[in-house]
Order: sequence, then structure tokens, then C-alpha cells
Amino acid sequence: MTTRGEAVAKQTGSVEHWVESEVPLIFQMFAGTSFVLMLLPVCIVVLSALNAGEYLTFPPQGFSLRWIKAFLSNEMFVRSYLISFGMALFTCVIATLTGTMAAIFMTRVDFPGRALLRAFFLSPLMLPGTVVGLALYIYYLGLGIGLSRSLGGLLVGHILATTPFVIGTVSAALYSFDISLEEAARSLGAGPMTAFWKVTFPIIRPGIVAGAIFAFIISFGQFDLSLFLSTPDLTPLPIQIYISLRYKFEPTAAAAGLFAILLVVLSTWLIGRITDLGRFAGLKFS
Amino acid sequence: MSQRPQRLLNRLVLLVLPALALFVIFFAVPLFLLFAIAFNRSQRGVVTFQPSSFTLANFARFFNDSLFFGALFNSLILAISVATLCLLLGYPLAYLIAKSRNPQRTTLYTTMVLISMQLDPVIRAYGLMVLLGDNGLINGTLIKAGWILAPLPLMYNWFGTIVGLVQNCLPFMVLALIGIIRSINPSVEEAARSLGASRWQTFFRVAFPLTLPGVLSGFLLVFSLSISSYIVPVLMGGWKILVLPLHIYQQILERANFQFGASIALILFVISTLAVTVYHRITQRTIGGLV
Repeated sequence: MTTRGEAVAKQTGSVEHWVESEVPLIFQMFAGTSFVLMLLPVCIVVLSALNAGEYLTFPPQGFSLRWIKAFLSNEMFVRSYLISFGMALFTCVIATLTGTMAAIFMTRVDFPGRALLRAFFLSPLMLPGTVVGLALYIYYLGLGIGLSRSLGGLLVGHILATTPFVIGTVSAALYSFDISLEEAARSLGAGPMTAFWKVTFPIIRPGIVAGAIFAFIISFGQFDLSLFLSTPDLTPLPIQIYISLRYKFEPTAAAAGLFAILLVVLSTWLIGRITDLGRFAGLKFS
Repeated sequence: MSQRPQRLLNRLVLLVLPALALFVIFFAVPLFLLFAIAFNRSQRGVVTFQPSSFTLANFARFFNDSLFFGALFNSLILAISVATLCLLLGYPLAYLIAKSRNPQRTTLYTTMVLISMQLDPVIRAYGLMVLLGDNGLINGTLIKAGWILAPLPLMYNWFGTIVGLVQNCLPFMVLALIGIIRSINPSVEEAARSLGASRWQTFFRVAFPLTLPGVLSGFLLVFSLSISSYIVPVLMGGWKILVLPLHIYQQILERANFQFGASIALILFVISTLAVTVYHRITQRTIGGLV
């Protein structure tokens, strides 16, 4: 889907836009402050992880890989990292499958209550994650079939939190897809499945891949839902870092964070390569 | 669509069933039960819904005890201040990104905003704690330089909590605003300029009013995000800034008082849903829905 902004930009392509240097100086200063506030904590984590001393000081005491080594030899942190990574992979596969299928249904079939169903599917994005996690926790306890504090129960939570992203990105791709292309294939004799796989799928694939990467990274960094659902032997990385932060300040946690940052930077860069990032403005991520 | 054969339609329904089943069984029903339990009499350790014991006692307790009532007040103050600050800081950045003519730079800026947003809040809080702590970068540097004798109270108070939440929510505000700022037709602004309006008059009289729906939706989005944050008030407020999510956590995991915890969760849910519904209405009208 192109936003109205993109449409307007296309229509008025010839008209001079304001150039950046014309954006008022005070705006540039505030914008700079925003950038610093958003990115400074990330940079500090990277510096702490690569710093030689116990505490990060200004200027840093020198470059060292000691905390990276400490992280790699710390069984708890490595285990958490692997748990998060594995859960994110599994969540990503399931969320991409169910989300893509639901998005196809909702963009292709018109039925009363479609907007309502769409709002229902997107609502985990909008509701407080802690409340959804709590609801699942109490539900599992009440069911008494061993889902509480289990890997399965935690995964269900992560799939719930990530499927809306896939539905969002895939239906955006489907809305901007010209259905007459698929109809042309049908009229030339292709079956519905063939027409979909040969014509539609390659065109909406960037949307699906973007949704999958989002699902992966949202699951990997998921804190709110994991809070009530994780166990002492099943601690995803964000919970593990949180636990260690409550007791003492370990640069080892920063080293673990560094590896998480690398993953986020890589996946965001990938999403930017395959889709138009401007399209996501207005979609809530958490 | 109506010409499509009924058989194909029936097969298409199969596509939505897995997602629908998942969302009904593990999302709608659990939420419904959670809120049903909020109307049960408090009984430590009982998690199942008791149809026979309907009571409003949990809510009466909440609104009669200043500890909980105060937490609601704290949560509201916190969410409103964070949303206001995010707007002040986020609008100029969104404006800069939206008005940029260089597509590479736009992509770079948007990528940086997205990276900050997707990194989990605990890691970002770690960075802020290293920055703002008593032995942190700011205090350490200022003390070493001899400018201050005792560390400034930058963390474990309102200031730290607000900085942490603004840090967390700023990317959402920026992304909520870029689209609508970009949608202002530049010729409208140029018309104002050519009629003699100064740059600031053009901004405040023409551009800004056109983006008001985005401003309101960004505000409500950040409001609902920050009112439900648990991790930032815990780490940056050090359990000194008591907000609703902290009480929910305590009632459930420390007191095993599921009914009372559920009633606090319901109150939080209602406030945040109200904000989100209004947000949804606005975005539906202005940008044709999310995504």
C-alpha cells in the first residue's frame, strides 16, 4: 500500500521540496537530540562490551575482548542467547505461515466483519504485552495441562505477539499487488494454485520476508510476554539480562547485548534492502 | 469476488482457520477469563474462575487504597509527560526525515529509528543505566572534572523513569509522524510562502495543523505504550516510582492474589484500550488504516 504521502510526492515530483538545510535550525537541534537519545544507549552498550575496565568511564579505558570472552564462556548467558535464537526461529516459521495465510484470506475475500477480524488479528500489537502474558499465564495455570512455565506455552505467546506483524506486512504487499495479473494467468489456463505460486507469490515475497524478519526480531527481543511465562531453566536473553541487572552490573550482560544488537542491525538492514521502509510508518512495533 | 466459485471460497476459508483458532484459544479466551477472574472474591492461590462468587470488592479495594489509587495517578502522570516529551523531540526528527530529498539519507535515518525501536528494552535500559547511574558516565565525568561533589540524582527517580520511557517510545512517535508530514502537499506551503508568510508562520499556521491527526495518534500510541511498561519503571525507577504494571507483577508473582492482580490488569487494559481505540479511529480516517 502506498501512503497518501507517497502518492502526493509522485504527483508533485516536479515541485521543489524544502531541502534539509531549509529545515529550521531549532528543528535540526531537536532532531539531533532525538537521535542521540535513541542511539546513545545502544552505543554505550557496545562500548561497555568492548571496554577494558570493569566500569565504562569517559574516555574508555581501552579496547579489550575480555567481556566478549566472558560472555562466550558464561553458560547462563550463552544458553539464554541460544534459547532466544531457537525460539525466534520457530516463532518466525509458524507466524509467517499462519500470518501469510490469514493475510491472503483477508485481502481476497470480502465478508461482513472483515475490518473487525483484521482489528482482532492486529490487537496483540496494541494491547499491553504484560497483560496478555499474564492472561496466558493464568489461563495455563487454570487449564492444568502443563502449559504453564513450559517451552510450548512460551512459544504460543511469542507467536501471538509476532503474527500481527506478518499479517501487516503481507497484507500491505497484497493490497498493492495488481490482482488482474493473477486473473490474466487464470484466463490463460493456469489453475488457482499455479497462478498464485507463479505470479502472486514472487511479487509479494518481499512482504513475506520482511514479515518473517520482523517476527524473528520481535520474538528475539520479547520481554513483556516472557516476563510471566519464562522459568528458571527457560530464560530468554532479555529476561536473563534483566535478572543480572537486578543484582549487579556485569559488562558480560553488555557483551550479550552486543550480539543482540548485531542481530537487530543485520535484520533491520535486510528489511531495508528488500522493502520500502517508509511504508511501515504508522504501524506499531513492540 | 462474487463470481468466484463457492468451492474456491470454501477452500480460502481454510487459510484463516489456523490463525483464527490460535487467536481465539490463546488470546481471546485467556483475556476474557482474566477479566472474569477480576470479579471473583480474592482467594490466595486460586486461579480458576468461580462463577458463583461475583464481587466488585477488588475494585473497591483498588480505589480505596491510596497505594493503588496513587499508582494509577503516577501511571497517568508518567504516560502524559512521556507522550508530551516524545512529541516535542520526535516531531522535529520526523519532519527532518519527511522533508529530506535524499532517499539514501531517508533510508539511513529510518533504519536507525527502527534499530533503536527493535532492540529489546532491557538492553537499552542497560545503556541508560551506565549513562545515568551514580557512578555512571555523566556523574563520573562531572566528579572527575571537579564540577560537582556528589553525584546528581539522575536515576531511580522520576527523572530516570521519564528519560527511560521517552527513550523507549520515541521511535514509535517518529514513525507515526513521518507519513503524515510527508503527505502535506508542498505547494500548500509554497502558496503560503508566496503570499508573504514567514517560514515559522507557514509552519504553525499551515503545516502543523495539517499534521494534527498524526500528532494526536502518536501521542495516544506513546501514552498507551508507556502506561503499560513494566521494565523501564523497574530498572530506571528502582521500585521507587510505583506504577500499575509493578503492582500487577507483585500481586500475581509475589502474593499469588490472582483476582486482585487481574482487576489491576483490567483497569490498565481499559485505559490503554481507550487510548488505542481513539488512535485507531484517527489513523483509519487519515491514512486509511494501519499498514
